[in-house]
Amino acid sequence: MFWSKTRKALRARGVMGINQRNGDYILRYNKRSLYPLVDDKLKTKKMALEAGIRVPELYGAIRTEQGISTLRKVVDTHRDFVIKPAQGAGGDGIMVIADRFEHYFRSASGRIITQDELEHHISGILSGIYSLGGHRDEALIEYRVRSTELFNRISYEGVPDIRIIVLKGYPVAAMLRLPTRQSQGKANLHQGAIGVGLDLSTGVTLGGTWHNQRIERHPDTANAVAGLTVPDWEDCLALAARCYDLTGLGYLGVDLVMDRDHGPMMLELNARPGLNIQIAMDDGLLRRCGIVEKHLDALKGEDRPAAERVEFSKQQFAVAGVVPQAAEEQQ
Amino acid sequence: MGSVKFQARVLALALFLLGLGSILYQVYVQHVPLSQDEKDPVWVIDAQVGFSARPNKPVKVRMFVPPLGSGFTTLNESFISNNYGVNVNEEKGNRQVTWSSRRAEGRQFLYYRLMLTHRYAETREVEPGPQFRQAPNIEGPDRLAAEALLEPIRQHSADVETFIRETIKRVNELQNDNAQLLLGSDVSARNRARVIDLLLGLSHIPIEPVHTLRLAESQEQEPELWLRSYNGRQWLYFNPMNGQQGLPEDRLVWWRGWEPLMQVDGGKSADMVFSVHRNEMSALQLAQTLRLKDASSFIDFSLYELPLPAQQLYRTLIMIPIGVILVLLMRSLVGMETLGTFTPVLIALAFRETQVIYGVLLFVFITALGLSLRSYLEHLKLQLLPRLSVVLTFVVMVMALMSLLGYKLGIGSGLSVGLFPMVVLTMVIERTSIVWEERGGSQSLKIGMGTLFVAVLSHLLMVWQPLTYFVFTFPGVLLCVAAFMVMMGHYRGYRVTELVRFRAMVDGDKH
Repeated sequence: MFWSKTRKALRARGVMGINQRNGDYILRYNKRSLYPLVDDKLKTKKMALEAGIRVPELYGAIRTEQGISTLRKVVDTHRDFVIKPAQGAGGDGIMVIADRFEHYFRSASGRIITQDELEHHISGILSGIYSLGGHRDEALIEYRVRSTELFNRISYEGVPDIRIIVLKGYPVAAMLRLPTRQSQGKANLHQGAIGVGLDLSTGVTLGGTWHNQRIERHPDTANAVAGLTVPDWEDCLALAARCYDLTGLGYLGVDLVMDRDHGPMMLELNARPGLNIQIAMDDGLLRRCGIVEKHLDALKGEDRPAAERVEFSKQQFAVAGVVPQAAEEQQ
Repeated sequence: MGSVKFQARVLALALFLLGLGSILYQVYVQHVPLSQDEKDPVWVIDAQVGFSARPNKPVKVRMFVPPLGSGFTTLNESFISNNYGVNVNEEKGNRQVTWSSRRAEGRQFLYYRLMLTHRYAETREVEPGPQFRQAPNIEGPDRLAAEALLEPIRQHSADVETFIRETIKRVNELQNDNAQLLLGSDVSARNRARVIDLLLGLSHIPIEPVHTLRLAESQEQEPELWLRSYNGRQWLYFNPMNGQQGLPEDRLVWWRGWEPLMQVDGGKSADMVFSVHRNEMSALQLAQTLRLKDASSFIDFSLYELPLPAQQLYRTLIMIPIGVILVLLMRSLVGMETLGTFTPVLIALAFRETQVIYGVLLFVFITALGLSLRSYLEHLKLQLLPRLSVVLTFVVMVMALMSLLGYKLGIGSGLSVGLFPMVVLTMVIERTSIVWEERGGSQSLKIGMGTLFVAVLSHLLMVWQPLTYFVFTFPGVLLCVAAFMVMMGHYRGYRVTELVRFRAMVDGDKH
């Protein structure tokens, strides 16, 4: 019987299902009242700034239709910027302006955008097209992250980001999300981006997943995705671990971006992180969460500093046989 | 967490047992039929009294009718007569009807009809009878013969029961001189019973004749005489003709005592014909008939007690949890994605009004139309709210147009869309649009198909007659359903779609 065999095999690997994630992790560790902290990117950003966590600089926020006229003032001082809905999901509604051309704007993919189009887009964001449940929303205008050249070989347009799953402040899983032609520059796995597992102890890329299948190479650039080292990996882990202290959400997906000039930045937080990371890591979340929970039980609720938690995760979740390649080789 | 899980389990178990208990109570104690088609035999007994009235004399006919509640439920009882007053009185456990008329002429016919069934009958408490009586005073040869008969009977018996049995046996030995002497030339059941009564009377054992009718299809039937005696715990029944003990199931006690079935004053050459017919009636109908008669039945405190329009409504409403549990299964166990949480159930309810095939076509057609209009409006750079408003207005117009067209073409009422399907339809379009905006066309198509599939399935489930009957009749089912839902709240297993989704992780093992 296919079902029972697969079910058993998945159980043996400690793969987490949606029902389990919802019931045993999200419902248990994430207090409902804390959700607005992560669902509203403006709130997340303010909170992160207060705690000294690096985030992309906020140029301005537009709350009302009248406020759209202030757009010019906000963007005049910046040549490139990103417009995004404060309560968007899955990377929808994000418009990346990379450059100017005469009176026009130029998007990251090279499309020419008029001021009118930009304003219509913002008005769409305000009316709640991109927000969960269609509520009225705010539009954020912020610093455009510039991708490090390291990832250029294995991504198509857009900016890759790093998703780290943090359980009670312990990083348990991490993956690099690479945009593809199909995902239209978005680092969203559901829209066709690639997920590449990361070794938690070193930040070295492992195999990849694309549309729930395992892949070795990037479909657009045909370069192998494994064997690259994410720079500033220690910082990334520390950042992710601290996000737990920041929000109090016990089961958290932390999205980081790697900026060419500023290093790792926290982009957004997710209280219901997806499960595809398991395919990318080729390891079950349930297994890893079990290790952390056991450790927590042993500690009897005693809080540990972020650095210590990161150290524990690095030891526990190191993938054997991963050797980081020399930096020059990667260039 | 562990204690919460335990609590949930206890709650689920409690709900389940409560629901199951109520169902079992209804089935085994109230005898509620398990299915709508369950049939019960209904006995129709007709008694026809015929006599010739004496001219210019008042007529009075007295006849015994069966007492109420003798192991059967009376569905209907009628006394049919022209120009006769009818009076029923109860006396010493018997019921007697009296037909009376000041004047009657020629051959007269009076009818009595009784409809009986076994189901829902309440067993009455046994009323005790006497256990001792004075011996009758007889002298002469009768006395000697009786003593001679009683001698061996006393020797061969241990208690009242065996004594009576032995007595019946002796009296029925017709070649026995003593028995012959007592019986004379009359060997009818009545006379034998009289002799048996005499013998038992001499031994101080009280005995009572009962007249029974057999519930079997028959045109002409004579009441059969039985004897019964109370032994301190229960009544023992004997057939005076052959000593058979125990009243068979299909016997109806019509009256008891030595009095004749019928007495006619002011009439002559009276006769009486019994005929018995067997009918079938659905158990449910039976219960409703009883309800009308104010007899107690399972209808009390059930949803059948509601007025009919409310019943109709609740027949629909009570099926909603069944649809909901299907959605729950499809989402949590299978992993199928649907619009909203319970939108499929709402669509399924709308299908009740539109019929399922036409409903599916209508939904697909109008949703597709609405969505294409939506994408055009998006092209015009309209904002979300105005855009949706335009779409909804357009949908209403299309539906009105379709109804009009259908009417003109004579397709008739099938094309008219009720208010409820209209509301559900617009809601579906709105939700699909939002999904389209948020997750793209292919996703919304997939979700839309899933929704429609689950909706059709739950519609079929919700209108399935045997199930509707069962849930409506045994509302305890809903408690069991709730118990299952509570258990599902702690279900942590994989969804079927996840088995496919994570298959890559298992295949990786084999390398």
